[in-house]
Amino acid sequence: MPSRDFYTTLGVSRDASADEIQKAYRRLARKYHPDVNKDPDAEERFKQVSEAYDALSDPQQRKRYDAFGEDFRRVPPDVDPDTYARSRAGRAGGGGRTREPTWDTGASQFDAEGIDLDDLLGGMFGGRTRRGWGRIPGSDQEVELELTVEEAYRGGNRKLTVRGPTGADRTIDVKIPAGVVNGQRIRLGAQGGQGTGGAPAGDLYLVVRIADHPRCRVSGRDLTVDLPLAVWEGALGASVSIETPGGDATVKVPKASSSGRRLRLKGRGLPNPRGTPGDLYAEVRLMVPPRLTREEKRLFEELAGTSKFDPRRRA
Amino acid sequence: MSHQLTRPSRFALEDFARLTGAHPELLKRFVALGLLEATTDGSGELWFVPSQLSRVARIQRLRAGLDLNYAALGLVMDLLDRIAVLEAERRRFVRRGARTWT
Repeated sequence: MPSRDFYTTLGVSRDASADEIQKAYRRLARKYHPDVNKDPDAEERFKQVSEAYDALSDPQQRKRYDAFGEDFRRVPPDVDPDTYARSRAGRAGGGGRTREPTWDTGASQFDAEGIDLDDLLGGMFGGRTRRGWGRIPGSDQEVELELTVEEAYRGGNRKLTVRGPTGADRTIDVKIPAGVVNGQRIRLGAQGGQGTGGAPAGDLYLVVRIADHPRCRVSGRDLTVDLPLAVWEGALGASVSIETPGGDATVKVPKASSSGRRLRLKGRGLPNPRGTPGDLYAEVRLMVPPRLTREEKRLFEELAGTSKFDPRRRA
Repeated sequence: MSHQLTRPSRFALEDFARLTGAHPELLKRFVALGLLEATTDGSGELWFVPSQLSRVARIQRLRAGLDLNYAALGLVMDLLDRIAVLEAERRRFVRRGARTWT
């Protein structure tokens, strides 16, 4: 939880002029406005910035904030700052502050002394609320969801921690459908930005990003895996077993397959809930033994002597 | 007697105003400013599709949060939409381009 100090929130010094405060607020409001910044954290920041500006932009409230600190709204208007400071020092340690002023959540809560803060704050925020934020549905938010290729293939459940609108982390159980692709958006209804004045919340969108996989590349629904072959397997053809996200599969390598040849396994790519699944491509990579035995060396030399094949000859 | 089985595909001005909590005259102005899209039928009545509901909410949020006037809002929303499209494209492009052999 970031500091609740209004000056820190706005990033200005305590002796900042009204102009500076306004400038800082405008800059931060543009940056964190929930419609400009889709990050779930932004909404909370925006509220804090607005709250800070609400207090500091009014000279009278600012004076009281400077004198009484964060509790300034709970101090009656006729209290002398010095008396307040003394009395507070007296009961230091007891009755810690239990809650921050709410920002138009409509929730009725009681503080430690049993005073309904919303009663007190209603008038203060009310003007602003009616003028600015009435009953407005919340904004949509976006977070990136990184999945492995296997998760994208199979789907499944995932626990996701998102910074909630009140600043507390909340955990959401997400059901990932099988066969999501890069950039796809999963919509979680009413999990986005909070509405004001009892209006519905926005939606939370999870933007899928499929993480890099050491052996598997994704393009749309098609997968490409490397298929290492010994040179003679490429030359003579072979039947080899490869790992795919859906389990092992057997690939028949036709003879005279060079590096780069793509062998298609139809329908073995990412599944498609609506339509045909993607394909899996096994891309041939011919490998030479790193160290040749005497016999292998002899055979290769024999081959080199016999073969007329020149891969660099222009056709 | 008929029952409504599906979501209505469009709203009349009064229904739309009730759903958004905005005044009908304000919504008319939004349409005139090009902030909202509406179709006009033969009798001059405005009709709104459901997707415009979230657009009204967005107008209200941007106006309340940033003190923008309605004319400026049109520009801001167009730019935000364009940025969203560009970012989506970039996401697709970067993922494909940056993939390397590992």
